[in-house]
Amino acid sequence: MVIQGKVNGKRVSSRELEEQIQQAARAGKQTLTIHADGQHGIGGRIWPNGKKLRITIDGPSGQRLGSMGMAGTEIVVRGSASDDVGWINCGAKITVLGDVTNGAHNAGAQGILYVQGGGGARCDTMTKYNPRFEPLQSWYFRDVGDSFAEFKAGGIAVVCGVEPRNPDNILGYRPCVGMVGGTIYFRGPIQGYSEKDVQCVPLTPQDWEWLTKNIKPYLKAIDRMAYLEELTRSPEDWNKLIAYTPAEKAARRGMKVPMHEFRTQVWDAGVGKGGIFGEYLEHDQTILPYITTDKNRRFRPVWRNDFYLPPCAYNCPSRIPSHKRASLIRQNRLEDALALVLQYSPFPASVCGQVCPNLCMDACTRGEIDQPLDIKNLGSLSLEIPAPEKARATGKKVAVIGAGPAGLSTAWQLALKGHEVDLYEGSNHLGGKLEMCIPRERLPQKILKKEISRLEEMGINVHLKTKVSRKRFKEIYDTHEVVVIAVGAHEARMVPFKGYEDVIPGIEFLKQVNYGETLDFKKQDVVVIGAGNAGMDIACQAYACGARSVTAVDIQPPASFSKEQELARSRGTQILYPKVTERYDPKKKKVHFKDGTAVDADAVIMSIGEVPVLDFLPQSIHTERGYLVVNELGQTTDVKVFGVGDATQPGLVTHAIGQGRIAADVIHTQMMNYDYVPEIQREIPRERIKTVYYEAARSDEFVVEEEANKCMSCGSCRDCGMCEVSCYYGAISRIGGDGGTFEYVVKDDLCIGCGFCAGICPCGIWELEENV
Amino acid sequence: MEPAERLDQNHELTLKELPYIIRWREDRCTRCGRCTAVCPVNAIEPTVFAQRLIHSEGPVPTPKTVRRLTQGVRQNVDIERYCTGCGSCSLVCPTVAIEPEYNPQHKFLIFKNKGGVPYKRGGRRNDPSPSTVDQLKFTRISMLTDPALDAGRHEFRIRTLLGRNLPPEKLPLEQRNGHLQVREESGFIPPVREIFPIRIGSMSVGALSPHMWEGLAMGVAYLNEVEGLPVVMCSGEGGMPPRLLKSRFAKYFILQIASGYFGWDEIVHAIPEMTEDPAAIEIKYGQGAKPGDGGLLMAYKVLNLIAKIRGVPLYVDLASPPTHQTKYSIEEAVAKMIQSMSMAWGFRVPVYPKISGTKTALAVLNNLARNPYAAALCIDGEDGGTGAAYNVSMDKMGHPIASNIRDCYLDLVKQGKQNELPLIAAGGMGKAGNLAANAAAMIMLGASAVDIGKYIMQAGADCFGDEYNRCNLCNTGRCPRGITTQDPKLYRRLDPDKVAERVVDVFKAADVELKKIFAPLGRSTELPIGMSDALGVADKAVAERLEISYVC
Repeated sequence: MVIQGKVNGKRVSSRELEEQIQQAARAGKQTLTIHADGQHGIGGRIWPNGKKLRITIDGPSGQRLGSMGMAGTEIVVRGSASDDVGWINCGAKITVLGDVTNGAHNAGAQGILYVQGGGGARCDTMTKYNPRFEPLQSWYFRDVGDSFAEFKAGGIAVVCGVEPRNPDNILGYRPCVGMVGGTIYFRGPIQGYSEKDVQCVPLTPQDWEWLTKNIKPYLKAIDRMAYLEELTRSPEDWNKLIAYTPAEKAARRGMKVPMHEFRTQVWDAGVGKGGIFGEYLEHDQTILPYITTDKNRRFRPVWRNDFYLPPCAYNCPSRIPSHKRASLIRQNRLEDALALVLQYSPFPASVCGQVCPNLCMDACTRGEIDQPLDIKNLGSLSLEIPAPEKARATGKKVAVIGAGPAGLSTAWQLALKGHEVDLYEGSNHLGGKLEMCIPRERLPQKILKKEISRLEEMGINVHLKTKVSRKRFKEIYDTHEVVVIAVGAHEARMVPFKGYEDVIPGIEFLKQVNYGETLDFKKQDVVVIGAGNAGMDIACQAYACGARSVTAVDIQPPASFSKEQELARSRGTQILYPKVTERYDPKKKKVHFKDGTAVDADAVIMSIGEVPVLDFLPQSIHTERGYLVVNELGQTTDVKVFGVGDATQPGLVTHAIGQGRIAADVIHTQMMNYDYVPEIQREIPRERIKTVYYEAARSDEFVVEEEANKCMSCGSCRDCGMCEVSCYYGAISRIGGDGGTFEYVVKDDLCIGCGFCAGICPCGIWELEENV
Repeated sequence: MEPAERLDQNHELTLKELPYIIRWREDRCTRCGRCTAVCPVNAIEPTVFAQRLIHSEGPVPTPKTVRRLTQGVRQNVDIERYCTGCGSCSLVCPTVAIEPEYNPQHKFLIFKNKGGVPYKRGGRRNDPSPSTVDQLKFTRISMLTDPALDAGRHEFRIRTLLGRNLPPEKLPLEQRNGHLQVREESGFIPPVREIFPIRIGSMSVGALSPHMWEGLAMGVAYLNEVEGLPVVMCSGEGGMPPRLLKSRFAKYFILQIASGYFGWDEIVHAIPEMTEDPAAIEIKYGQGAKPGDGGLLMAYKVLNLIAKIRGVPLYVDLASPPTHQTKYSIEEAVAKMIQSMSMAWGFRVPVYPKISGTKTALAVLNNLARNPYAAALCIDGEDGGTGAAYNVSMDKMGHPIASNIRDCYLDLVKQGKQNELPLIAAGGMGKAGNLAANAAAMIMLGASAVDIGKYIMQAGADCFGDEYNRCNLCNTGRCPRGITTQDPKLYRRLDPDKVAERVVDVFKAADVELKKIFAPLGRSTELPIGMSDALGVADKAVAERLEISYVC
């Protein structure tokens, strides 16, 4: 049957031609010849029900020839075909005895396309593979145009490469972009393909078998059997393009060249080994983890035992290490603990235990959670401790002038170190103000005498009732290696207001009381000018002498400590301030103040301080405002002469004791030709003590062992082992030494510098340092 | 008076004042100390907690106290050791027991001026709201109206021109014997480089650690030599390693000169040994993150490497003043610098200034338009980052980049010079992660290229910083990632190879995304510079100001 695409010179529309073809097919026609005139989609969509329909087309066939073609349909085009031949081919066999233009077999799924010539652009694009059917075949005799096989997903394309239009490239520009399946066999030169999507590989024996078998019907169909031998000469003439599998693509994703390879082979080759900074860097060219040990740690812990002073020792002018005493008690070494204090003070019971305001206790960290350590009681416990053993005699001879707390402390320390000491005292007692001025009720004589007797055991040459004159001083100076001036301050300061001649100097009053020359204040009103600690003592003593009332006045808020004040007030003392005394009228028994007020005063005692008597000194030893000029080591302007105690500056007894010890240390090193190493003066930062470890005590009964346990051992390792147990990495270990000594050490190769040891140390020993 | 420190909590801040609060899970913590070992500012520290419980176990009240002491981790409330939220603790915690949580009610800035020293930091402007650039959309999609392009299938050349691009009639060319030749009497053709339109902006050796800088540089070399992507990177003002200057890779780098002139004697010494010209010279006059504020490299960062490369003594503060010395007018300042820098490489290298975003940008632009040697203008907007600045400069000073570039471009259009003088936009590109979209939007507003800094810090080296003031420790030399520190213990955490790989990833991905944006516009070869009809915005005021369509 013949169907005309042009009737009476008039083109039959695509729709009409399609109707005629479909009718012929339904009528069971086996062969059709169509004289086409550019109609769209000729030969497609014919369902022959198992029969065959052969369509031969002459004349210009239009676009999409054989599109949606079905199995059983065979189309032969006598000449070239237009775009999209075999679009969505579902099984038709299409033979084009000429060229095909763009898009041949676009989206084809099954069937065969034989092309006698070449293909245009975008042939075999979007082809499919459906496992229910045989795969699609597309055969091109010459070559194909650009963008071949884009997004190809299935089917086999064969490009024979005979007499190609472009002899250098038979697959056109950039074939196989997005290709994911199917096979392309080609014979001849190409210029690249989408390397991201496909690989070019040689043919396998199976490929060759398929190709040589299937090429015969192709060549026969396009009437080119003459080329059979040439085309089947060798599998090596052919190549195959196949898509990478998704797994292969995933494996190839990422770097074209691994970066470490680029660095060593390209970068370092260009800039030099070690990179652009290689010439400046001194460290290993390796990468560090976030958590590092040893020299790569950012911080390192340091066991700073006894590096800082605890608040008690730091604030004690005598530097008595109460934390060490507690530590010894905890080690069941009570005797040692109580003896330790004697290395710092000859008067632990008299001073710590009685007269001292105990600045140590004010500062004690323990006080933050309950009560400070009871240093008063601990001090008193040392009363019966015998004098420590003296060091071997050095043969050096030192003179100490004045046997008050400062002089006795100096003499005590020097004697301990083995020096011979000549102690000169103007009165006939040892003890100075402790003996003479401190009211006996505040310092029972039994205690003081006991401690003085211990002092006397040291073998000090005591020269009582020896007033030192200028001449005497020269003699002492010439016969001793070092002279220590510790004469105290015993001349009362007086304000020369009107009537001051009738005022009793406070120090004289106190001395008189202590020596039993009691004044009779019975039914008298006593006024004390000056409300310092001494003023409070005077007030108490005045009551002891029978006073009816005592009024202490001061020009400023009283400088006395609260304990002393409390005692005086408890006796009835009234404290008035600010009161500047204008005059004393002994006749009318009134003290008048500049503010116009007045108080009754049968007796007036002045207690505004004392100055030393230093008239025996040569001019070469400087004084200033009546006091001896010394530095913090007790050194005067004469290298042989030292000064300590109230002679240098008014202070507490504990100050005098501390100054004496430091001066003795300096004198010792000076005489023995050692270098003096100043004592640690650092107080441990408060926040380093982990008070949270301790529970507030419910009882304030004094039990010496419990007291020692309460001590937080600030800055001094209490050997609790908390750090060793806490360290996650086992980097801390305790090393014990002789005689109960120990230290904690860090294994640097295990430690990461986390700071747990520092953060949890009860005593603040561990410190985290920058690891440079 | 009793000093307040002796009392309990007087004058102590609460955690609620601080920008980040550490959430520590006692039940999960193993007390391994990794968090405290790694915290860059010691904001957390190990400590001891005491618990007191009252037990009564008998059938009648039988009270018994039980004390339980545990060790753990506590946050410090000292303002000098505030938690910056970097999250290093969470990073290293093996049991997910610790993390910083942002505290939106913090009053940090009110307190962070102890000792009369205002808050200084590095990082970014702390403004998490979307920038104008991020609000722009590409609303012109060609489907049937223009030949549609497929980003995945078609070949694209996303390139831009860095350098003065004269129109043919202005080129000093003549035809001789059928060939184009440079006219002998005026032989200057402005140098032009074809580059990828996203560049790595100026970050100095010194501001960055050696590992970071080298990682970026190596990534750039890889992109050029392996991927064929001509990405360039600016040195920043801190000199250039001589090894790099003398290598063939020098051509991928823009050398920056700024008011400190650091490293330039070393560069001048290296010129005779250079085998390649640099990509360009950038003259820095300003920085978007801190307009009018100079640079300062703290003495502790000036170690051997920095001192050698910059040509300065060890351990001294290195100040780049906010202004160049001895330049007193815009004419003089710009002309003098452009001349000097052009001469250094025989007028073969494009030379252009970089300024911070400002209302006065047009004045600079017009000056450059008249200067035949000016190769471009780079404008750095307020969303730029920095290694160190006063917080006030970062948060409150600067000009948004979008309208600044737009004004400049439209001004060039008026002069007919829009294809002649490239504008480079910087500051906040990719701020919200949309690098290619931001770059494309800026290009359509009129920029020829964009610069990135913070983006590459984050993408390339996992910088912790964000717009909630997280981390931002760049100025302290304690960068926990190893990006902005000279401490080998810290920067050796950073693997330069990994940085380089990420740089490659970033640019390859941006290349794909730019194609995805340009393809539907039907542009595959020419960059759509100034193609503002493709842009739309759902904010009428922004649309009017930028002269683009309002869409909703």
